[in-house]
Amino acid sequence: MTVKIEQLILCLCLCGFCVTVNAQEHGIQWNGYLQTDNRVQLLGENDFSWHEYRLNLRAEIAPFNKTHFYSEIWVRALGFPEVQNSADLDDNSILRPMNIELREAYIDIYGFMLPELDVRLGRQRIAWGTGDKINPTDNLNPYDLQDIWDFGRHLGSDGMLASLYLGEYTVSTAILPMFTPAVLPAGDWAFIMSQETELPGLIVRNTADSIIMPENNLRETFKGGLKLKKQFFGYDMSISYVYGISDLPIANRALISPTENIGEVDIYSELIYPKMHIAGFDITGAIDEIGVWGEVAMFLPEEVMLVTDMSALGMGVFESVALEDKPYVKYLVGADYTFRNGFYINLQYLHGFMHERGRDNLQNYLLVGSELKLLNNKLKIMPIAGAIEINDFGNIKDNFAMVYAPEITYNPIDNAELAVGTRLIEGSDNTIFGQLKNNDEVYFKLKYSF
Amino acid sequence: MKASIAITILLVLVVMSTMATGESKHTAAQILTRADSVANAPRDQTMNMRLVLIDEAGNARERELIMYQKGSDKRMGKFLSPADQAGIAFLSLPEGVMYVYLPAFKKTRRIASHVKNTKFAGTDFTYEDMEAGKYSDKYNPEILRREDGNHVLKLVPKAETESEYSRLILWIDEENSVPTKIEYYDKGDNLCKIMTRDDVVETDGYWFARQMEMSDLRSGQKTKMILQKVQFDQGLSNDMFTERYLIR
Repeated sequence: MTVKIEQLILCLCLCGFCVTVNAQEHGIQWNGYLQTDNRVQLLGENDFSWHEYRLNLRAEIAPFNKTHFYSEIWVRALGFPEVQNSADLDDNSILRPMNIELREAYIDIYGFMLPELDVRLGRQRIAWGTGDKINPTDNLNPYDLQDIWDFGRHLGSDGMLASLYLGEYTVSTAILPMFTPAVLPAGDWAFIMSQETELPGLIVRNTADSIIMPENNLRETFKGGLKLKKQFFGYDMSISYVYGISDLPIANRALISPTENIGEVDIYSELIYPKMHIAGFDITGAIDEIGVWGEVAMFLPEEVMLVTDMSALGMGVFESVALEDKPYVKYLVGADYTFRNGFYINLQYLHGFMHERGRDNLQNYLLVGSELKLLNNKLKIMPIAGAIEINDFGNIKDNFAMVYAPEITYNPIDNAELAVGTRLIEGSDNTIFGQLKNNDEVYFKLKYSF
Repeated sequence: MKASIAITILLVLVVMSTMATGESKHTAAQILTRADSVANAPRDQTMNMRLVLIDEAGNARERELIMYQKGSDKRMGKFLSPADQAGIAFLSLPEGVMYVYLPAFKKTRRIASHVKNTKFAGTDFTYEDMEAGKYSDKYNPEILRREDGNHVLKLVPKAETESEYSRLILWIDEENSVPTKIEYYDKGDNLCKIMTRDDVVETDGYWFARQMEMSDLRSGQKTKMILQKVQFDQGLSNDMFTERYLIR
């Protein structure tokens, strides 16, 4: 059924293109890109770790000066054939998995009721924060962590953004009535979102879980945000506040039951989405010639208790705190600079990655990017790129990991880009990245914009 | 007696010399101010332009841009093509404040001064070259000579001006005060770029060049900026030169 719906949507998209000639008369602009992304692991049997064909289609129209429509659709062939038996061989959706996603679709109304008020209605990305790709204050849209290397990607949310421009002040209000959970990482990265379950002396055979979605009413699913922006002393600053449901789940119940083998258990858990208040501040500007920015976000979650039921093992029911209702702070500071020879470097220090929650669970990361453009900007080399993770400054040796991710891109002609790069991971098993040190990979991307 | 006459003559010569020097600076400043006033005479301008990037082998790539300017210190530009750059926009405001809008990230970004010296969208114009403003606000002028109906001025950045260049040599047409050629010298005082302005016309009482060419002597690449359509005094509001309009 789902496949038929997707095929129908695809037909509609193609029909949309067919009427483009007619649409041009009304000012509709179609554009987008085709991007392929293939990754191969460097160790072991050189498994393919990612295979994606993405067709991005964007339609835009501004029929009147005071309105604007925008939509963006991804048609993706993602993953590998999932054939289990001969019956699957005549099912194209199994042979070549594909999905269609409406990333954004909204209308802008400029000067809505007041000349100073702009309103955006529909599915939209509301990007708050001044950091480069990582933004502790960007908490309105759910994370899209399907491709963990494209961190910073978010889903669009259905709702309204109203921006009031009062002289040097900009006041933005976001209202998102519906709740959409985050997309969690696929493949080898799925573990970073799972909570550790330590059961001394027991072997875990199977794990299963259920997601308890919030009740489908406005009181439970509403998320809102407010932001005030102004320039002070040459720096752009803003303060923000967000209230609503976190889009990342957390376990509040675990049922541990014995299997037929002694010392072996199955774990079934239930996960919920906690509500929280988030107060934010961001700043951007320059110190001399160096670009600088920073963000601070203080999270105040509701308390989440974890009930662990081990009564089937004769060990009773325990209750512990999964998420304290105490504030915790994530922050990011960054700087960038272009040297006289054109070499660009970007450094960011992050305390608290996007999935980390709770005062005692925030780790430290140093993120580095660089770029050198050659051959009249046709060739871009990123020789220094990656991240360093430090979990404990008191014992760096055992709590350190590094990802080195250089990349080379080449634009043989306008609109076409070829990229090749690698991700080499090394570090302690106590770190997130370190647990994936055997997943070094090389990738090749092709992108053509139209 | 002879000594006092000699001292008097010397003093007179020094005073005359000082006056002459002062008059020369005043004239250079006047010439530059006049060039600025001609360039910024329209209350506002809307320009559709084509940028042709030509590499050292003669291969050409094109970009299309629409640019809005109000007065002398507010400018906004938006790329219309090629597809991978369409929608990228920049905003130049007084006191060197610049923003760029990147549609792929749905974000505006403040540009620090280190970026101003980098190539603007791969062209031979830097962000500094694209910045709005008056020469007379940024540079101290000095007359070098007159040449083929042009005033030739040397411009040195003022102490408070952040610039990649150590000096400019500017040719200004004596008749219409339009700059026709600019030589750019880097911090090492090496000639690094030359801009020429051609096809100078008068429309609606305003003088402007319909074609500019920037040659980068280090890379061998050059960029032609061709004005396809220019509209003056359309009544652009100040609101257009804000982040509010940049993201549209």
